[in-house]
Amino acid sequence: MDYRPKAFKEPIDPQGRELRKLVIGAAGNAGRGHIGPALSILEILRCLYESVLVHDPKLPNLESRDIFILSKGHGALGLYAVLASVGYFDLAELDTFCKFESRLGGHPEWHNLPGIEFSTGSLGHGLAVAVGIAVALLNKQQNSRRVYVLIGDGELAEGAIWESLLHATKHKLNNLCLIIDFNNMQANGILDKVLEIKNIPQKLTSFGFETFEINGHSINEIKSALDFEPGKGKPLAIVAHTIKGKGVRIAENSPEWHHKAKISKEEVELLLENIY
Amino acid sequence: MRKAALNTVYNLARSNSKIIFIGSDLGHGTLVEMQKELPNQFFMEGISEQHIVGFAAGLAKEGFIPYINTIANFFTRRALDQIIVDVALHNLPVKFLGSGGGMVYAPLGPTHTATDDFAHMLAVPNMNVFSPCDANEMEMIVIDESVRSGPSYIRFGKGGEKIISNDFNTYKSSYIKILGDLNSENVIISTGVLTHLAIEVMKSMETSLKCFVVHLPKLNLLKETSLYEVIEGRKKAIIIEEHQPIGGLFTQVLHHLQGKNIDTRNLSTVSLPDRFIRNYGNQNDHFNKWGMTVGAIVEKMGA
Repeated sequence: MDYRPKAFKEPIDPQGRELRKLVIGAAGNAGRGHIGPALSILEILRCLYESVLVHDPKLPNLESRDIFILSKGHGALGLYAVLASVGYFDLAELDTFCKFESRLGGHPEWHNLPGIEFSTGSLGHGLAVAVGIAVALLNKQQNSRRVYVLIGDGELAEGAIWESLLHATKHKLNNLCLIIDFNNMQANGILDKVLEIKNIPQKLTSFGFETFEINGHSINEIKSALDFEPGKGKPLAIVAHTIKGKGVRIAENSPEWHHKAKISKEEVELLLENIY
Repeated sequence: MRKAALNTVYNLARSNSKIIFIGSDLGHGTLVEMQKELPNQFFMEGISEQHIVGFAAGLAKEGFIPYINTIANFFTRRALDQIIVDVALHNLPVKFLGSGGGMVYAPLGPTHTATDDFAHMLAVPNMNVFSPCDANEMEMIVIDESVRSGPSYIRFGKGGEKIISNDFNTYKSSYIKILGDLNSENVIISTGVLTHLAIEVMKSMETSLKCFVVHLPKLNLLKETSLYEVIEGRKKAIIIEEHQPIGGLFTQVLHHLQGKNIDTRNLSTVSLPDRFIRNYGNQNDHFNKWGMTVGAIVEKMGA
């Protein structure tokens, strides 16, 4: 099945539009930010925090909680928008994004903000940490707790990820779910032009993962794929076909909106107008 | 020293199920008894140091205390980003056991000789850096670190060193160790296995009580103000370290002396050179080449 046309066509519901306004508003206030990488993962994050993860925003250290690590830390704006929406902190705090002494940096930090399980930003780290946590949970016989880690497709060029894939299989981590944000775009442009990584699902399968492909903007497909029962079979890999900048016409599939260090008020208005 | 460290980890693990040992494809026979007795606390992983450091951070985040061992450079150089971001930034209790400190692996060349490990590790916030002088001191440090929160880097010597750590007295801090007469006009400050050489130098000058030895098994000096009391006012204070001159013990001491407005003109160092060392040979060949001998240090002291 060709998922990209489906991901392109997937309509955004009112809640998705609200989340996009939050992301753009926070970036607009800061005058900077990774907007495109945040918009491609909004549906995945929303499904995780609204329907899939065992967690409690009022008890961020809940003993029985599932763990989520955003390995592509530059998607922080998306994570902040979702965490605020489900009640980890006040929505108004999004306006402090990247400001001096804010808890909301350009990349998420665990000791700053409730709901952040691990600091990320340097790419290729999250999977190794997730493997360690997954082994630890099994070692503690907390077998029902699950570990989710979301990595970018461009991030797959980091060699350490392939080390960790081998180890996830070695340890038979049936409590681990790896999600690939496959938006086919990185900072410089189309993935294949920067570094071709063909057949990602086949590669993950050959590394020993149970692999599924989904339309990463379809709420139904995401929920169905991510809500797995631990203890069965192999580590799980979900290749989520997404669109960088999804839901904002001028930002969709545009490397220009991967990251901007200066965003004008006019551009913010334009982005908001282009939400569909 | 390595054997003492690994056996100490094994013994700690027997009474504390949170203690974990992780190796990176270590030599055949490493801790085989531990592997049999405590399979859930023993991990022999592939040659994948970056993964292993992140993996250890994940375990530590969930309450475990991982001790990880491989050749020092393969942590301090190859996995430096993981050490900083995954471990130190989170102040997690991951304990790095670095084999082959200094010129131990001289025959294997500059990929293996750990001549800049102090510099890398001392630059990492939250990291405690240790360089014990013998197996007893190694055991003590490994045990102490099992109950201290936060990461540490512990450098191994070659092994088989004579036990000397019991001969020292502590000076206001358990990590400032003194041997000899404090009234001596000169002092040698040392860390790791070079403390054996420092003692030889002191003994060669003993009749005139000209020199005493300060051994520093821990290299983080920020709060150890008492160290400077023993340096200040000496005729000569010589810092010897099996490390390049930049970023190690000498640099640290200089930095802190400067901050305390103490005269540093009496201070000098004997160290490895500030360049890659490509000459192979063995550790002693390099001690001889770079002035780490009794004769060269006595001469430097002007005795």
